[in-house]
Amino acid sequence: MRRQIVARLLQSLIVVVIVTTISFFVIRAAPGDPFAYDSPMVTPAVRAHWRSQFGYDRPLIEQYGRYVVSVAHGQLGYSFEMHEPVSAALAVALPRTLLLTGLALTLAFLGGMAIGAAQAARRGSWFDRVSSFVLLVFYSLPDFWGALMILLLFAYWIPILPAGNIVDQVTHDYMSGPQAAWDRARHLVLPVMSLALLTMASIARYQRAAMLEILPADYIRTARAKGVSERRILWHHALRTALTPLVTLAGLFIPALLGGALFVEKVFSWPGMGLIAANAIAGRDYDLVTATVIVGSLLVVIGNLFADLAQMALDPRTRE
Amino acid sequence: MRASPLLLIVLATTLSACEGSRTAASTGATGGTLVVAAIGEASDLLPPLVADINGAAIQSMVFDRLADIGQNLGTVGDAGFTPRLASSWTWAADSLSIAFHIDPKARWHDGQPVTASDVRFSVRAYLDPKVGSPTAPNLGNIDSVGVRDSLTAVVYFKKHTPEEFYDIAYQLFVMPEHVYGKVPFDQLRTSDVSRKLVGSGPFRFVRWDPKVRIELVADTANYHGRPKLDRVILTPIADANAGAALMLSGQADFMLSFPIDQVAKLDSSRVARAVAAPSFSYGFFGFNRFAPKSNSAPHPIFNDLRVRRALAMAINRTAMAGNVFGKFAQVSHGPFPMTLGVADSTLRMPPYDTAAAKAMLDSSGWKAGADGIRAKNGKPLRFSLMYPSTSLPRKQYAVLLQEALRRVGAQVDLDQVDAQTFQARALDSHDYDALLNAFNADPSVTGSKQSWGTSAIGPGGQNSLRYSNVKVDALLDTAAGSFDPAKAKASAAKAYQQIIDDVPAVFLYDLPLVDAVNRRLTLGPLRADGWFANIADWSIPPDKRIDRDRIGLGPAKP
Repeated sequence: MRRQIVARLLQSLIVVVIVTTISFFVIRAAPGDPFAYDSPMVTPAVRAHWRSQFGYDRPLIEQYGRYVVSVAHGQLGYSFEMHEPVSAALAVALPRTLLLTGLALTLAFLGGMAIGAAQAARRGSWFDRVSSFVLLVFYSLPDFWGALMILLLFAYWIPILPAGNIVDQVTHDYMSGPQAAWDRARHLVLPVMSLALLTMASIARYQRAAMLEILPADYIRTARAKGVSERRILWHHALRTALTPLVTLAGLFIPALLGGALFVEKVFSWPGMGLIAANAIAGRDYDLVTATVIVGSLLVVIGNLFADLAQMALDPRTRE
Repeated sequence: MRASPLLLIVLATTLSACEGSRTAASTGATGGTLVVAAIGEASDLLPPLVADINGAAIQSMVFDRLADIGQNLGTVGDAGFTPRLASSWTWAADSLSIAFHIDPKARWHDGQPVTASDVRFSVRAYLDPKVGSPTAPNLGNIDSVGVRDSLTAVVYFKKHTPEEFYDIAYQLFVMPEHVYGKVPFDQLRTSDVSRKLVGSGPFRFVRWDPKVRIELVADTANYHGRPKLDRVILTPIADANAGAALMLSGQADFMLSFPIDQVAKLDSSRVARAVAAPSFSYGFFGFNRFAPKSNSAPHPIFNDLRVRRALAMAINRTAMAGNVFGKFAQVSHGPFPMTLGVADSTLRMPPYDTAAAKAMLDSSGWKAGADGIRAKNGKPLRFSLMYPSTSLPRKQYAVLLQEALRRVGAQVDLDQVDAQTFQARALDSHDYDALLNAFNADPSVTGSKQSWGTSAIGPGGQNSLRYSNVKVDALLDTAAGSFDPAKAKASAAKAYQQIIDDVPAVFLYDLPLVDAVNRRLTLGPLRADGWFANIADWSIPPDKRIDRDRIGLGPAKP
C-alpha cells in the first residue's frame, strides 16, 4: 500500500507540474499583460518600463525558468491585482474558499445521503417521484445560472439575505460581537446554499442508486428474516454499506466543488480563490493566475488521492 | 463527546466575529459615512504610481498639493491658485524658480511636520526612472528642487513656461520622506508601505483590502480644518450595473458615471438622484492611418482623406448622441471637451449629408455593388470597428455607426474586446482598422499635444491613431507657450480646426457624466478634473443619517 501511495504522489506531482506549465504559457498567450489596463494616464513608454522592471519583456522560456526557480524557493511572485505577494493573497483567499466548499460539501453530503436513502426506502412513492424530479432539475442546472437564480430570489425579489461579500463591507468591523457573528452567518447562507444544492442533487442520486443496489442483497434479506426492524435495516445495515462508494465520491467531488466555487464566488462576490482567480485572469495577473492553478490542481490531486486511499481502506480488494 | 465539523465551523465563525465593538456616534454638523461605488479597482495608491480615477481620488483625499487649482481650472501662471501645503510662494525675478513656503501648521498624519525636504524628495520620486511614474512627463520642465530652510522649497525650472506653476503645484502630491524614503525606488510599487498611506490631506488612510474596499477617516486635526464627513469608503464594483443596484438600494451613496440607460430610475428613486457633472472626456470614431499591425504600409481604406471625410459626413452625430445619452447628450465640437479652457464651439465640423457622402465615395472610386456594399479594385469597403466591452456608450455607438455607414455602402464588422485587449491592440500592436476611443483630457492645452501631437506617436504618448501634421504641432506648441490666454486659445483653435479638417477621427461626443448621489448627501461643487476635488465640503445632515453614518471616527476591529 505504501508503494501505491508513493506512486500516486509522484503521479500527482507530475500532473501539477504539467498543469502549471500549461497555465503559465496560456495566460501569457492572451493579449495584454498586468500593465495593459485601460488608463489614458499611462503612456506606452511607461508601460514598457514597468514590463521591463518585472521581466515581462524577457523571452517566454526565460520567464518560465525564472518562475520555476522562484517557486522552488517558495516564492510565488507578486500579485498586481491584490497588491501583495501572491502567497499572502492566497493565505487570505484559500481559507474562505475552504470554508465555503467545506460547509457546502458537508451540507450536500448530509442532505444528499438522507434524501437518497429516504427515496430508496420509499421507491416508487410520490415522495420518490417528486424529489427525483426536483433533484434532476438541480442536477441539470449550470452552476452559474443556479447561483444567479438563488441570488435574484433571495437578495432582490424577496430581499431577506445580503447579495454578496463575506460580511457587510461598511459596518461589519464596527458591529458588536453577536451582530458581527449574525452578519457573517447571513452572508454565508446564499453562496453555501447555491453550492450545496447543486452538489446535493448528484449525491442524492448516487445514494439512491447505491441503496437500491444493496436493499435486495442476501444479508439484508437475512436481517429481515431475523426480525430486524425496517428502520434499523435501512439506516444501520444498508446505509453503512452504501456509504463506501460515497466516501470515495467525496474526494472526487472536490474538483467539481472548486469549479462550482469559481462561479458561485463570482456571482456572490465571495473573495475566495475562485473570485481572485477570475479577477487575476481578467487583469492578466500572471503570477496569481499560475499560483491559483497550482493550488487548485493540488487540491484536486489531494482529493483524488484521498478518494483512492479511502477506497483502499474501505475495500480490501483494491489494495492488491 | 465529539463535536461535529459543522458545529466547530459555526463556533469558529461566531468567535472570530465576537471581537468588535461599536464606536461612539457622530453628531452635529460633522459626521457620516460616504460609501462610493467605484467601477474597477485602483491600480496603485501612492501618488507617483497613480494611473486611474480611483487611485487619483484616494491620492487627492490623503495627500496635498502645494497649491489648489481654482474652480475655473486655469493653468497659466498662478492665477486662481490658492494655498494648500504652501501658505505662500515667491517668484524669482527671471521666473525660472519659485520658492514655496510650507505652512508651518502642516503635519503628516503620523504627527511629523511637513518640511521642504519632503517636497524635494517627492519630486525625486516622481522623476526617478526606477519608479516609472506616469506623471513624470508632466514634470519634465522641473530642473531641481533646493531646500532653502526647513520650510522653504525652491523649485527650479529648465525654461520659463506659462504652465510651470501648474506643473509643480497641480501635478505633484507631496509625500513624507521619513516614510517612503526608506524604500528603494525600484521597490516602491511592491513595498508594503505603498499600501499604507501617510499623507497630510483631509482624510487619513485606514486600510486597503484590494477588491473589497479602501477606507479613509477624517483627519480631525488637519491644518486646514477637518472635513465634514467622518469616513469615506470606496467599494470596487465589477461593472456599472452592479453600481446602479447598490445606488438604488441605498447601499452606496455616490457613483461616478451612472449608466446612462438607467438614469430614469434615478428620477423616480426616493433614495438617489442624478447630478450632471463636468467631464474632461470626449469620445471619437478613429481611423487607423496605417494597415493593421503596420507602421509604414498605408491603410487600404483610410489613407484616403476623401473616404474619411465621406464616412464622417454619413454620421448624424446629433441624433446618435441623443440616442445614446438622451437629455444629457453633448455633441462634440472637436478634439477637446468643452470643459477645457481653450475649447471653441465655433469650429467647422463635417456636415451630416449622406448624399454628399455617397458622391464623395463615388468620386474616390468606391462604387456600390449589387449588395449595396461599395468596392474598389475588387476590394469591398469593409472594415472592423474595435471598441471595449467595458464602455456602454461605445457599445451603443458601435451599433449605430454600423447602421449609419451601411447606408452609404460601407460594411462595418463590430469587434468588441475586453479592456486589456483594446489597450494592447490600440497602443501596442496597432492591430485594428477603426476604433471607438475616448480621451480624458488634461486641464492644460499641453494635453492636446499628448493626444494629437506627432511627438505623442509611439512609446512616449497616447496618439494611438498616429495622426501627424507639422502645422498642428506648431500651433499647439504656440498655444502651450503663450502667456496670454486669448492668444493661446486662438492658436489652439487653429490647431483643432486643422485636426477636424484632416479627419483622423470623427468627434462624436463630450462624455456627459451623470453621477448618482444619495439624497441624504449634500455635495460641494463638482469639478471636471475629479469628482473628489471638493469632498472636504460634502456633508450628511444629522437628521438624514442612517446606521452606517453612526460608525463615527473610532478604529476598526483589527
